[in-house]
Amino acid sequence: MANRRVLVKRRKAARNIRKITRTMQLIATARFQAAHTRATAGKPYTEKLTQLMENLARAAGGVKHPLMAQNPEAGRGALIVLTSDRGMCGGYNTNVLRAANDFLAAADEPVDVSMVGKKGVAFFRFLGAEMAEAITDFGDAPRFDQVEPLANRLMQRFAAGELASVDVVYTQFVSTARQRAVVERILPLSPETPGEEEGSADLEYEFSPAPQELLEELLPASVRVRIYQCFTDAAVSEQIARMVAMKAATDAAGDMIKRLTMQYNRARQTQITMELLDIVGGANALE
Amino acid sequence: MAQANEGKVTQVIGSVLDAQFEEDQLPSIYNALSISVERKVLGETEKGTLWCEVAQHLGGGRIRAVALDSTDGVRRGQPVLDTGAPISVPVGEETLGRVFNLVGDPIDGLGPVETTERRPIHASPPELPELSAKTELFETGIKVMDLLCPLVRGGKAGLFGGAGVGKTVIIQELIARLARFHSGYSCFAGVGERTREGNDLWLEMQEAQIGDTGKSVIDQTVMVFGQMNEPPGARLRVGLSALTMAEHFRDETDADTLLFIDNIFRFSQAGSEVSALLGRMPSAVGYQPTLGTEMGELQERITSTNQGAVTSIQAIYVPADDYTDPAPAAAFTHLDSTVNLERSISEKGIYPAVDPLASSSRIIAPEYIGERHYEVARRVQQILQRYKDLQDIIAILGVDELSEEDKLIVRRARKIERFLSQAFYVAEQFIGIPGVYVSREDTIRSFEELCDGKWDHLPDQAFMYVGTIEDAAKRAEEMEAE
Repeated sequence: MANRRVLVKRRKAARNIRKITRTMQLIATARFQAAHTRATAGKPYTEKLTQLMENLARAAGGVKHPLMAQNPEAGRGALIVLTSDRGMCGGYNTNVLRAANDFLAAADEPVDVSMVGKKGVAFFRFLGAEMAEAITDFGDAPRFDQVEPLANRLMQRFAAGELASVDVVYTQFVSTARQRAVVERILPLSPETPGEEEGSADLEYEFSPAPQELLEELLPASVRVRIYQCFTDAAVSEQIARMVAMKAATDAAGDMIKRLTMQYNRARQTQITMELLDIVGGANALE
Repeated sequence: MAQANEGKVTQVIGSVLDAQFEEDQLPSIYNALSISVERKVLGETEKGTLWCEVAQHLGGGRIRAVALDSTDGVRRGQPVLDTGAPISVPVGEETLGRVFNLVGDPIDGLGPVETTERRPIHASPPELPELSAKTELFETGIKVMDLLCPLVRGGKAGLFGGAGVGKTVIIQELIARLARFHSGYSCFAGVGERTREGNDLWLEMQEAQIGDTGKSVIDQTVMVFGQMNEPPGARLRVGLSALTMAEHFRDETDADTLLFIDNIFRFSQAGSEVSALLGRMPSAVGYQPTLGTEMGELQERITSTNQGAVTSIQAIYVPADDYTDPAPAAAFTHLDSTVNLERSISEKGIYPAVDPLASSSRIIAPEYIGERHYEVARRVQQILQRYKDLQDIIAILGVDELSEEDKLIVRRARKIERFLSQAFYVAEQFIGIPGVYVSREDTIRSFEELCDGKWDHLPDQAFMYVGTIEDAAKRAEEMEAE
């Protein structure tokens, strides 16, 4: 049969792909551990800071800050979309981009999109959708000093009343088994999140320096940290997605190799049988 | 007829027998011999005539002949009569509406057929200058065929396919579509297929009407059967018998003639069964060494001349789905359009299971079918080819890893794949969807719009078993409503 060579070629290709996907799975596993440590290490700090800030804001009462203001007349929003620079991570980017698109479709006012990650940039270019900025140099493990300028820029614009809201679309890391694409509102900061922890509201604080001054420092810090937390979450989720996708790909390649091997063997056997028949038939006919 | 040239049976091996004649009175090759045989069936004696055809001269007055019926009851020493002429079949308008076996005897139980003329089943193909040079598309109303492997009026089309992918159904569908709107005559040759299918077809043709003339399709049709139960000699010659009848219509009337053969592979197979008994050494895969010659002799006669056109549609069984098998490969070269049926497509539940990439036609070229049709056909094939190339990657890595352009191609290819399915008239009782006829114009427009991405928003399932693209849109609305 003529398709034997084709089968060998396909099997070889599948083997090579499996080699790559298996390696990528291992790398993703290693990277996941690093990213996971980073994300979980930052989490208590972020949470505590957010909580502290909320308590303070409540305790100080009636304090006004530009980051807490509502700017309905700005007529513009901002959205940070966190995608990966590299593929081979299953539906990771697709899910984030779908959430982003849903958000954009539902938004009443124009939204400035800050696209992070090559995959998202490529997708928006393909769609012909507009992006206010495209950031593709953050790498696998975004550092705080990389994220900070982006956060500062958006805060400045918000404080100046140019933006009505700032949101982030990213893949939230819930647990190793669960990550989901979510939209999180960063600005305006809500002075009160209902249902806070026990009795925190009753604490009496003595302010030094003055609450206004303190919040001036604390609020932007909390925003920066929250944005940074999104980045670290996204990084972990990406590695998990890649791990899972590559595991599935390795398995699928294995199945395919098994199937192709079986087909190849069958084709080979058929050919041998046929040749034997030809020889025996020919020899018999000569007698 | 030569006067009483009689010989004696000297040897019987299966469906081949040897006979001794006078050295100077040897019957010619292809001459018909008759042996009157008596068989005892359940204690009763049946008398009959066994027809044989001279295949070889062995020397010393001995000849070797292929029996065209069962050799049961033949004894050595029995007299053999040389008829002095090849097997002939009745031809002419009297044969219409009747069913014959390969020697021209009616087998439909409607009494004898009287014709003014009989023709020998062996003849030379038409001469070179007589051949018709016209090339014209023959519309079937089946989307996939009209688009990618259009039939040629006066040409030959082959339906290739393994066991149970729907060859016979397509042949029957084409009979229903073409014969029904066809003004000329049709011939059907049942070669080595199930007798039941032949019977079904016969009954169906009696019911089906031609247009609104009130006439049944059978009134314009001759059927010749040499089915599975017959010995190889019969299956080897039945195609020629039907062809001879079709040739008569071509030469003597101006009408276009349709010739359906189901299944030409059985002809090759019968040839190989006889070949070894005739003492030829088997060739590749055990086929007869004369495979190409036999096929050529049959196929070259199926052709259109300046007098009339014979459009033939042949089903060709592909053993073990292996297209490189010598028998289908031998038939391949003779055809104007090849329709390949693919198991993997029938497994997806898409019927007709035509492989859009392997099927082709001689007239897929801008000068025959027009620039637009050609362009659309090529685009459809390009999309499907790309999809096929990506299939392994999708199987391993998933659709998400494809680039956006490729994702779009995959989405369209899935729609096109489903849109190539179509409901058949003859399959209505099985799938419960009435058959549809889609004009070539509609087909081209539908696929063009599909390739342009105008219908990307419809769900894939809406494209199954619909006619034009508008039907798909309607289907999608219905699905939404549910």
